[in-house]
Amino acid sequence: MKLSCRPRAPFLACVLCLSACFSVSGRLHAETSRAAASAATQMVTIPGPLRSFLRMAGISQEATQEEVLPLLARTVSMLGYEGGAETEYLVLLRRYVQFAQELRQLADAQNTIHADSCEEAARLVDVLGYQFEGTCGEKTAYLVTSNAGRAFLTIDSGFPLTGLEEALEKHTPFAYSFPATQVPVLFRAKDWTAASVWRPKGETTVVDVLLHDQELDRLYWALSKNDEETRLALHQWRGLRPLLPLATALEFYGSQVSVRSGRVLVPGGRDAEKGWEELVGASPSSPGEFVDHLCGRDRGWLAAYYDALSLVSREQQVRLTEGSRLKQLYDVYKRAGNGASATKGVFPRNGDLLLLFNRLQWQPDGTLYIPGGLGVWKEILSQSYSPKLVRDWVKNARSWDSSDQLLMSLVASACFSTDRGPVQIYLALSGIDSARPAEARLSEGTVRLLAGKYSQLGSWYLVFSEFPALNDASITQFVNAAEGVTGISNPVLRSNALGALEANIGLWEILARQQEIPNRAMNTSWQDAVQPFIGISSSERLFDATRSSLRSILAGASGEGNLSQDQIIELLAGPAQQSEAGRRAHEEIAERMRSVLDDQRLVSLDTLFALHDGLDEMSHGAAVKDQLIPLAASLREFEMPRAIFTSGEKAAWAPAIYTSRHAELQVRTDLAKVIESGSSAQLEAARGQLTPFLRDTLVGLNYAYYEPPGAQVLHNNPLFVRSHDFSGTSILGYGEIWDSPELVGIGVTAGGGAYLIGSLANLPYALATAEEDFIAPENVQALIWQATGPTLLVDAIQPRWWDVSSTELHAATLYQRTGEELLMDATGNAELRGRVADILSDRMTPRRMEMTEQALLHPADAAAFMPQITPAEKFYLASEYRRLYPAEAAAWGSASQELDGLSRSSPSEVSAARVSKDFGVPHPILEQTNSCAILNVKPLPAYSGEAYGLVGESFESSNLYWARLADEMGYSPVTLNLLIPELSRHMIAKIFATDIEDWPAILRAMEQTGEEFRQGGIHVAAAATISQH
Amino acid sequence: MRVFLFVALSSGLVVVAAGTGWTSAQDQSSRIFVNVVLVQLNVAVTDRNGNYITGLRPENFAISEDKIQEKIASFEEGGAPEGGIRAATEASGGSASSSSAEASGNEATRSDAGPAPESGGQPGNEVVGGGAAPPPVSRLAGASVFVLFDTSDYMYRGFVFAQDAIAGFVRSMEDANKIAFYSYSRNLSRATLLTADRSQVMRGVRSTVAGDEAALYNCLLLTVRDAAQLRGRKAIVVFSNGPDNASSVPPEDVEELAQSTGTIIYIISTRLAHEEPVSSAVFERMSKGTGGKAYFAKDWRDESTAFASIREDLAHLYTISYYPKLNPNRGWRTITVKLVGKDLEKYHVRTRDGYRLQEQVPAATQTAAGQAAGTDPQ
Repeated sequence: MKLSCRPRAPFLACVLCLSACFSVSGRLHAETSRAAASAATQMVTIPGPLRSFLRMAGISQEATQEEVLPLLARTVSMLGYEGGAETEYLVLLRRYVQFAQELRQLADAQNTIHADSCEEAARLVDVLGYQFEGTCGEKTAYLVTSNAGRAFLTIDSGFPLTGLEEALEKHTPFAYSFPATQVPVLFRAKDWTAASVWRPKGETTVVDVLLHDQELDRLYWALSKNDEETRLALHQWRGLRPLLPLATALEFYGSQVSVRSGRVLVPGGRDAEKGWEELVGASPSSPGEFVDHLCGRDRGWLAAYYDALSLVSREQQVRLTEGSRLKQLYDVYKRAGNGASATKGVFPRNGDLLLLFNRLQWQPDGTLYIPGGLGVWKEILSQSYSPKLVRDWVKNARSWDSSDQLLMSLVASACFSTDRGPVQIYLALSGIDSARPAEARLSEGTVRLLAGKYSQLGSWYLVFSEFPALNDASITQFVNAAEGVTGISNPVLRSNALGALEANIGLWEILARQQEIPNRAMNTSWQDAVQPFIGISSSERLFDATRSSLRSILAGASGEGNLSQDQIIELLAGPAQQSEAGRRAHEEIAERMRSVLDDQRLVSLDTLFALHDGLDEMSHGAAVKDQLIPLAASLREFEMPRAIFTSGEKAAWAPAIYTSRHAELQVRTDLAKVIESGSSAQLEAARGQLTPFLRDTLVGLNYAYYEPPGAQVLHNNPLFVRSHDFSGTSILGYGEIWDSPELVGIGVTAGGGAYLIGSLANLPYALATAEEDFIAPENVQALIWQATGPTLLVDAIQPRWWDVSSTELHAATLYQRTGEELLMDATGNAELRGRVADILSDRMTPRRMEMTEQALLHPADAAAFMPQITPAEKFYLASEYRRLYPAEAAAWGSASQELDGLSRSSPSEVSAARVSKDFGVPHPILEQTNSCAILNVKPLPAYSGEAYGLVGESFESSNLYWARLADEMGYSPVTLNLLIPELSRHMIAKIFATDIEDWPAILRAMEQTGEEFRQGGIHVAAAATISQH
Repeated sequence: MRVFLFVALSSGLVVVAAGTGWTSAQDQSSRIFVNVVLVQLNVAVTDRNGNYITGLRPENFAISEDKIQEKIASFEEGGAPEGGIRAATEASGGSASSSSAEASGNEATRSDAGPAPESGGQPGNEVVGGGAAPPPVSRLAGASVFVLFDTSDYMYRGFVFAQDAIAGFVRSMEDANKIAFYSYSRNLSRATLLTADRSQVMRGVRSTVAGDEAALYNCLLLTVRDAAQLRGRKAIVVFSNGPDNASSVPPEDVEELAQSTGTIIYIISTRLAHEEPVSSAVFERMSKGTGGKAYFAKDWRDESTAFASIREDLAHLYTISYYPKLNPNRGWRTITVKLVGKDLEKYHVRTRDGYRLQEQVPAATQTAAGQAAGTDPQ
């Protein structure tokens, strides 16, 4: 059974750590408990081979035996029930268990199924649901289905039917090992069978109850995410059955709970224990009771609050739990919940709260930093996009003079599901301000303006956080231009104006990101690029404005505004390179961009500008007709794809989607007639007809730059760029024209292909979404996981590595190797082990932390565990250790010595901040910016709404890993521009995950890709050629 | 430098003509468009009952591209042993010759004698003007067949029967050169790369799992791309009930790519496909446009007619190639194939009806696709 990659039911977040007061004694205690528990580990039997069971259960074949039951519980809980009824998935899985038991009866004492003759095979073939067509044993005989239900199980479970068929045909013995599989169970088997509400007659097994009891599944999955001491504490409190009503709360919000040395390690540490005790109604020193109350109170909101606090940094926890803040904030959060349940639905409900807590910035005096000041936020919170509850609070507040009042309002707002509320505004504006120096923070007026326009233009605010040099005037001008263009009444003109403005801003972003537009020139070039779009009233004027805007951008980047299309592509491909390798890599990128433009059959800018100028000259009497006719003819080279459907069929079969009016208008554009015999006014008007072509080519340049590796739509659907619906005309009532684009028209056979609707904001992600399904998974049941796949692709295509030095590349390697040295040396040094654990607990879940500590007890275990430590964790460990213990920076091995030496000779290039910037990834959700960094966050779960992509965003390791790979294999830094997209594509094809939060599967896929690349199994031709030079 | 190639082609890449008529604006570009190499057509000729007409000679075919008469460069009749192809211009007297006719001992008089008297036989029967039919065992030699199996939710109920049908099809294609087996739902799975080992193919067939959304046109596009790397007769046989709810490319683009790369698409389906008219319409039109056929059996256990028909079709294709004459058209080029000779006009010709210039696949992609297709990228 292949599983859908779309989440359908609740599942618990991948876990994160809290460990605010993680002590060595606590760890030792945990080790003792673990040892006791391990000794008692019980195994349960799964009928049939593990491979077959995993296929049927939809679990990755890469799952370890320890993971089988937790993943089974999670998958059954998520996919086994819908609307109270059992799904086909669950029905089949149960049938398979019976089927496997039946097959098991055909096996001998050595658990092998034999069929040495047709007679012997008869029973087996019958059980498998097949029969012979022809006489068994003859060459012409073969198996066909006799019982579809059984045959389905045979095939879906991977029984080697072809082997049986061939053996019988060739009269050779058939033997198939069919052993039952032993897998470990949490606690004891009878704990689970006794806890289940499903009670059939006769004996039941753990597998049976997991296949019949959804609440038990949730509890099993939830507890499997806790570390062992925590799990034992909960079990010992009152047994499993009393935990069943808390199963969903534990599943959503319980994975951060960590019990050490008999105490719950609460967010905020010891200082916050009293506050938590009051809030929860139980002491952290009574773990069972504490968790019982935590998950059982307030319909899950208290657990949600605890969980969000647990996920943020220790510093943030201290801020948020100090004094009365812990209780005050929870009070408003709970009130905002207003009796609703935090445990209903598919995803945890505390995503916005987590984002808010993570983003809060504090001033030296301990108060919250507020973009624009407190006063303007009273206005913001009084607007209609605020929840009514919050509006009433603000309205009725006797005074409005404390930043905590704002904080409480935001916390209350975080309870409401919206993409356009005060929390999102705060996140965006603080994201913009966080990158600015104190003297250049957003003014009150700009904050007011941006807050007011957030619902319309919010998706574009990432530009201002990524480029903090853009000042208030630049921001204001953008808002004015956007408003002006949005207000154009003519729908065709508006659509073209939107596309042209956004395309030019997109080009500006590319050049600014590549530092081709220097910081000092950013405001000038930005304002010159945006200003021409204010006051557009006709297509002719739009053409002039677009061209003028483009010239300003190009001049800002190169000093020359009038560049040919090829020169523009060269500029966009990256800064000019001095080295041979750099030139070759640069040319390869440029060539790929040209390839997209060609396949989209876009008219060259050179042709458009030449035609435009010629028409202008003709209207003033110049005799340039002969030169213009061939140019006009080239406009008509674009042809619509050859139709398969009639217009009537399209209207009937794709009524809501079909939209290629823009392209069809272009096909009908014939300037030759006007050039031959048009009046002066007609020639003037004809220039306006070039505007849609100009828009498309500029949009095409953006598309081409962000082409995902392995792209097919960009190369095979020539309408893709032209079909971009900027003004939302193809969907009735669509109003989010400035939002990130969405892919529509998928699976509408007569619709002419999918296309993007919305703006060009976040274009790389949208393109990655469009192209990800063309990556063919290498594993049979694996799917490309939506949201994670595009995020990983964006990490590979948006950053570029033109200005990275060999020293920086090597530093990425040395940090990771130093991390490995520290981990290995920790095995023989208890003090070091304590430090290492303390540092890693910032990035690891309690469960992973426990596994890591266990591995660090013995060198062999540590070496075996090393691949499970992510490159970002190794980097963090090395950089933090160097920061905390500078005297020991060179003490742990050759890598740490080399890193230390290099950091003395090239301190800037080798700094952790530089490596983070070079090989980090964008965090548009978590940090509200496309600037690259390694944030050192814990792996985050999937939430609803925009926070859905947090799983991929918190996996920060890929570029760091590719950098080390390239460095160790002798590639120059510029080749990263070619290597990383291609290697990322291979990595995605190798991901064999059980679910969207299975980030260890990404890690495995990354390492498999790296190994294959080292062995020569993956050949990135362009990079190899450059490397040889 | 940009180089455009006709991807659908075979060996012996020859530069025929440089692009012409470029304007000064276009001249500013460093791109050079080059029309090169051979266009290859797979042509089926049948009478009104669907009987195949064999024994035709090169001079019986008149090929034009955008109404420009083309000169046949090579000619091969289905069933010719591998390597039996001969350049038409090498034939004595400068006239084209049929290597298959030579191989089978049939003389050029076949077409003169009126090669295909209508027999009233069943569809798929072979009608020859004289002499014995070539031994069937070699009929499919040189053909590469990609099987593409829909394993989406739409196929759930008939999954095992469809799988049996594919196994039957693979068995029936014993003498095809190589077979690849792919399956798809939302993503493509290249279960068995192109191979002559039937056992491996059968293992691929039986390894499939069912479920998820259906992205037929996305996955068919990828399959066409793989097939495009190959020489000679290549066909994709799709087993699907029809609906597509996950593709982002439209069938029009897939059809154009198949046409431009000389890939024949056959679609084997059931009458369930008629429940969604858009699917059955695409199946019929797309397969026809690429020179293939669509079959709608009562159910998956009733596909023997389709298998026989595809097998016969592949076995009886004339493979004709030509070097296009100078043609400034960079868009869609319409190909017309007509029969020339006494009483030949009454027969039906089925082949792709045109092609579009295809961009040369970038090196990195070419390698990947070549590996996927089991070929060495050239």
